[in-house]
Amino acid sequence: MTTISIVPIAIIGLLGIGLYALLVVRNLIKVIVALQILVKGAMLAMVAAGSIAGKTEVGASMALTVIVADTIVAVVGLALAVQIRRHFGTLDVRAISTLRR
Amino acid sequence: MMVHVLIVVGLLVSAIQAIRAQRLLHSALWLAVTSVLVALEMYLLGAPEVAAIELSVGAGLVTVLFVFAINISGEEGLAGERPAPLIVPRPVAGILSLVSILLLIWMNLDILGVPVPAGEPLSIRSVLWENRMVDVLLQVVLIFAGVLGVLGLLAEKPAAEFQSAALRGAEPVHLSFSEEEPEPLPDHDVELEGVQQEPVPALAQEESR
Amino acid sequence: MIQTLILLVICLPWLGALLVWWAGDSRPRLQHGLAVVFSAAAGVAAIALIPNTVGKEAARLPLPAGGVFGWFSFTPDGLGVFLTAVAAVIGCLAVVFSVDYMRGEAQLGRYYAFVLLFIGSMTGLVLTSNMLLMFVFWEMTALCSYALISFYNDDPKAVAGGMKALIITQVGGVGLLLGAILGFAYLGSLNVDDFLQRAHLLPTTALTVAAFGFLIAAAAKSAQFPFQTWLPDAMEAPTPCSALIHAATMVNAGVYLLARFYPAFENVPYWRLSVMVVGMLSALLAALMALAATDLKRVLAYSTVSQLGYMVYAVGAGGIFASQFHLLSHSVFKALLFLAAGAVIHGLGTRDMLQMGGLGKKMPVARAVFVIGAAALAGLPILNGFWSKELVLEAGLEHGPAWIYAVMLFVAGLTALYTFRCVWMVFYGAPRSTAHAHDAGGFMRAALYPLAFGTLTTWLLAGPFSQMLHDSLPQHSIHTESTGEVALVILTAPATYLALAVVGLGLLAWWQRERLALLSEPLQDVIGLARNSFGFEAINRGIVSGVQSWAENLRDVQTGLLNWNIVGILAGLITVLVIVALGA
Repeated sequence: MTTISIVPIAIIGLLGIGLYALLVVRNLIKVIVALQILVKGAMLAMVAAGSIAGKTEVGASMALTVIVADTIVAVVGLALAVQIRRHFGTLDVRAISTLRR
Repeated sequence: MMVHVLIVVGLLVSAIQAIRAQRLLHSALWLAVTSVLVALEMYLLGAPEVAAIELSVGAGLVTVLFVFAINISGEEGLAGERPAPLIVPRPVAGILSLVSILLLIWMNLDILGVPVPAGEPLSIRSVLWENRMVDVLLQVVLIFAGVLGVLGLLAEKPAAEFQSAALRGAEPVHLSFSEEEPEPLPDHDVELEGVQQEPVPALAQEESR
Repeated sequence: MIQTLILLVICLPWLGALLVWWAGDSRPRLQHGLAVVFSAAAGVAAIALIPNTVGKEAARLPLPAGGVFGWFSFTPDGLGVFLTAVAAVIGCLAVVFSVDYMRGEAQLGRYYAFVLLFIGSMTGLVLTSNMLLMFVFWEMTALCSYALISFYNDDPKAVAGGMKALIITQVGGVGLLLGAILGFAYLGSLNVDDFLQRAHLLPTTALTVAAFGFLIAAAAKSAQFPFQTWLPDAMEAPTPCSALIHAATMVNAGVYLLARFYPAFENVPYWRLSVMVVGMLSALLAALMALAATDLKRVLAYSTVSQLGYMVYAVGAGGIFASQFHLLSHSVFKALLFLAAGAVIHGLGTRDMLQMGGLGKKMPVARAVFVIGAAALAGLPILNGFWSKELVLEAGLEHGPAWIYAVMLFVAGLTALYTFRCVWMVFYGAPRSTAHAHDAGGFMRAALYPLAFGTLTTWLLAGPFSQMLHDSLPQHSIHTESTGEVALVILTAPATYLALAVVGLGLLAWWQRERLALLSEPLQDVIGLARNSFGFEAINRGIVSGVQSWAENLRDVQTGLLNWNIVGILAGLITVLVIVALGA
């Protein structure tokens, strides 16, 4: 265990869980939770990459940008979820698609 | 080293629990735990400012937002939906995510063996404001866009006016910019409070069913 | 000093656009005033730039993108400054004309804002020496022309015309981007001068692709064969816009592109021949279509395509100075013709020539300036059209194949024919309608008189113009000649008298048209084909319906289900990862 670094495992695990969840969940708010998990994995990857390369500040500033972006995504996504609940009465992703098929 | 392993294991467990939780509120709480652990890990990797910000934003702000949204939109019982078939069957989803993860691992095989040092925290100030100035500007633009988007999304009245006007066959409304701005802002404070009253009786009806 | 001037020329119209929009539609007089003031200021700045022409880069704008796109630089050399002056001055005159033409119309803010935005983008396009910035300005001019063509946006014909113009010029923009990217990939620089000097370092296939990409871009923008269908349909725009965009500035961007990049591509096999053939076909087809048209603005539109064909032909033959000189004359007299036509249309309320006739008595000012412009278009002596057209034909005779020269000579005759047909149908003969027509108003005259004066005199600038081009464009081999030498060469060349004879034949054919009507039976088929624009409209319709049916069939893939979309994203991600992993 000491020769294989543990942090990349965390990153890959988070990314994998996030991706799998995006494919499987049906509730819109859970989709946003899955997105958040995915982005946390990416954030961790940036900080880890910065620390491996020796330039922690570059990795940190990129992670900062990602935090801001991802929070905005969560905010707008939740506002969307609230409105969808009001108009469609449900948060199931299958029910809210009105494209003709 | 043990600390790292503990944190990582806790991270993965709480992420899995966040997805598997039956109630949305539990999901949000497990997400908060994940955020805390990620912040801790980032501090140990040598980026304390980002760790502090992640703690306050991820574990604080985002959790509060989730709780707020879940309250407004109401919990739906997820148990009743189990029998319905998923759009993407679980095995396919599992295979797809496994394949992408394996590819990622294979591409990064060489750095997996490198032990992660705890780098010394250097000044993030100069990097952020000089080299990555474009990032900062983009963040400001993003925040503005997010605020405008949310204001637009949560406003009900103007949309309804447009719809009913279109249904009545009225002329298309000519939006000239000088007219649009004074209207929506004073209405919003009144609207949000008025609108919050509505879903609650609906919720009461659903829960009593 | 130069930097300030360049900045002023590009940013003053943009500032004006912002102020006009902010002034609001409830204060139309303020909007008219602001538009005229800012366009006049831009015109003054452009003229002040002329004595300051230098051959090398004069201004550069460092943006915080790390220099990865090169410097955003501007070079005021002869070609750029000349086109800037044309765009700004004729733009100013078109704005002055609009004060009368658009009096009482709604949504003036949108109109003036786009006109001013357009003037600024055009000056930026010709002054910049960074190919990426050139592409950005190119697309901005396409956007402004779309917005102005569809200005009357409750008229479906106008909207359809705008969309057609947008789509066709966008396709051309792809050609420009392709050439710029190829240059950047092989030479590492987006600077135009670098590209011109080191173009021979590109591998042959890349250079050929870039050369023909630029040709497609120029042909699409200047409405040359096979993209000529958008210009006649773009006549739905308000007439001052038609004058500005489609006669004096935007369509010249294509010819500018070819002239600017000529030294890089002149050795690509078949490129010069293709350029000449494209010019010839455009000139011929457009002249035939002008002969068959009955809408006043459509005749002028087809004549624009035809004259641009002459300019393209001259560039292909290597006569850069000849083509730019003809561009100068054409801008002046075509703007004059369009604005005069605008006065007629505004006075009469219709564009159909079948309803006009005998207007000469009721609208003497319009008739006078229109006749001057028409004479220049036909190539009658003394007017600037004559001198420049003779230069073009000479350059073509010296460096190009003789059969193309013969066709171009024939087209000169056709030009005279349709021009006189148009003038006759509108201003002479028996009046066909009893509608009341008023002559051009004060502001309209203020725009028309300078242009008419220009038509009579701009040929005198030939000498200093060629000097300016020679001094600042070292890579294009341009010979300097003074005005007197140019005049002498033209007057003593036998080709000139041949061309004049053909023009005379055209005049004669119109006069004796009743007698020739007996001969015109086989010509009726050609005229019928010309009315249907030689099948190009059918091709366009076919392409549009093909794309639409293809899109309908693809609609089954768009289910709107979130999970399904994520599968698509993930599949794309895996594909990209595999490609990257294999390539590493």
